[in-house]
Amino acid sequence: MTELLKKLMLTSGVSGRENKIREVIRSEAEKYADEVITDPMGNLIAHKRGKGKRVMFAAHMDEIGYFVTFIDEKGLIRVGAVGGINTLAASYCDVISENGVYGIALPTEANELPKVESLYIDIGAKSRKQAEARVKVGDYFVHVPRLKRLSGNKYVGRPFDDRIGCLVLLEALKNVKDTDNDLYFVFTVQEEVGLRGAKPAAYRIEPDIAIAVDVTSVGGKPTSPKSKVKLGDGAAIKIKDSSVICSYELVCRMREIAVDSKIKYQDEILLKGGTDTASMQTSKAGCLAGGISIPTAYIHSVNEMIDMSDVKEAIKLACAVAERI
Amino acid sequence: MKELLKKLSEAFGPSGYEDGVRTIIKEYIGNDLPQSCELMEDRAGNLYFHCKNEDKPRLMINAHMDEVGFMVTGITDTGYLKFGCVGGMNPIVLGAKRVVSERGIKGVTVAKPIHLLTPEEKEKAPTVDGMCIDIGAASKEDAEKYTDIGDYFVFDSGYVEYGDGFIKCKALDDRHGCAIMCKLIDAIKAGACTDFDLWFAFTCKEEISYSSARCASEFIKPDYALVIESKAVQDTYGVEDERKVAILGDGAIISFMDNSTVYDRGVVDHLISICNENSIPYQLNKYISGGNDSSAIQKSIYGVRVGLISAPSRYIHSQANVVKYSDVEAMYEIAQRLITGPNSIVKE
Repeated sequence: MTELLKKLMLTSGVSGRENKIREVIRSEAEKYADEVITDPMGNLIAHKRGKGKRVMFAAHMDEIGYFVTFIDEKGLIRVGAVGGINTLAASYCDVISENGVYGIALPTEANELPKVESLYIDIGAKSRKQAEARVKVGDYFVHVPRLKRLSGNKYVGRPFDDRIGCLVLLEALKNVKDTDNDLYFVFTVQEEVGLRGAKPAAYRIEPDIAIAVDVTSVGGKPTSPKSKVKLGDGAAIKIKDSSVICSYELVCRMREIAVDSKIKYQDEILLKGGTDTASMQTSKAGCLAGGISIPTAYIHSVNEMIDMSDVKEAIKLACAVAERI
Repeated sequence: MKELLKKLSEAFGPSGYEDGVRTIIKEYIGNDLPQSCELMEDRAGNLYFHCKNEDKPRLMINAHMDEVGFMVTGITDTGYLKFGCVGGMNPIVLGAKRVVSERGIKGVTVAKPIHLLTPEEKEKAPTVDGMCIDIGAASKEDAEKYTDIGDYFVFDSGYVEYGDGFIKCKALDDRHGCAIMCKLIDAIKAGACTDFDLWFAFTCKEEISYSSARCASEFIKPDYALVIESKAVQDTYGVEDERKVAILGDGAIISFMDNSTVYDRGVVDHLISICNENSIPYQLNKYISGGNDSSAIQKSIYGVRVGLISAPSRYIHSQANVVKYSDVEAMYEIAQRLITGPNSIVKE
């Protein structure tokens, strides 16, 4: 599992440019699914056929980053943000372009919280000409991907949001036992820029039940929001976030399944941030939608932190829901 | 194309009241159509031209007919009209501008002359709440003879060619897109071949939401879409180089991303290669801003591969929208080569 996680974490793909990470996931999904397709927006849909309820799981492949918009005469790269960049966390951190060009993201105002449009990237070029030989307008940069084990079950790195969800889906696809349910494991695109990919995917699949697997923020840290969710307290069952109110009967059923299967879980209300749950709930004629979340500290920073024991519970919960919902 | 562009841009068509524009386009296309072609409308107000080519990949070309404007929300006791904006406008562009209503009533937006501003007022940006339209009425009763709550107004500002190939008019956003589509339809009528099941969608209400484009996309179910638009740029004064977005005269803008859409990379690459192969001037967007119908189209039905070409436009959403004609010509060239070119836009 760690080898697969490493591969998922270290392959980059900003929103709208998920081609590389899609191929990594495709080669894994093809081993266990009856059929794997890519839709026009780029969502990867792995299907495990059955005659029962149609259940759609979604985790997004894309990550936050930058598009190059302008190269100035000094060879500094101006960028536009893709998704919710935390400028405090991003400043003075290293970045890498789709073609492997390494650089540092810097604020133009050194002594105040920078606005995202004033961030620039220094790739060590001396002039516009030198920079243009390595980077062009329209290329993307991401913060350098990392994965490191801390003490115990804790891991730090990026982008756990949402490659850890992709891992949960792939493990669930692999481990799910015989069930009548018609299962779709969907790796979506463009979540970070407004939950865009999951909508057409759900339009195609028309699920009875849709479950997004994504990260959620934790409480208890000095900088964290007021939340009861904690690292190490198990998989989180989503009740609400700022994009969605989960279908209540589904929330109750997921809790029952967790209790029956002795899966450690905690309830989640995410105050800030949305997930694909919202897009799927309101796509076409609508469906019952919920979420399984992985508690994650410092989301959207270069040092996101998770507890692997929560991931294991999330995989168990996803499997149990797939089999028994 | 200039004569058509003038006629379309001067037509009255704020979001939700595009009838005048739609009529001009319908009359321009006419009834004498090739057998494989059809003109139709839907209940959302969109106008479609379909060039049938069964079993071929379906391509939708899209431009919006509507423009920004104003809606009367009240009449004061002294006969002035309170209004709200239809579409996004910076109130600073509204000071003492000529406007005209759907009934042809002329008016001027009210702004205090500098002589009467207090020092505090001079420092503050104006707000729409503090403005009204003066139609020269003597009283509330008099004003009610000429207008009513719910009436539309638009800028009263005609078509002028000036300088080195520049055009100024209200509503160039997105009537130049409509003009380009009419000219493409001319080419189809004259026998240009296309290997697509080709649709042209003239959409409504883009300035207030993208819902009409979504209706169009759900009706057509395209594989690909090309949106033809205006893009706000400020290449003249007061904006740093890295925020100018694009330069008028440097060609059509091919966007890779804006605030509402990340464009399909395959379509973007295809548009760029069309430009390179045919020496058509183009530029990539050098700042990320704005949004348009693309976002609704991309996410509709099973997902649509969407691309955008736009005319760099100064002073957009004001009475004096400015584009450079050579950029509009470049956009026509790109779209024309797209629809007559190979139908395998994205290579898998």
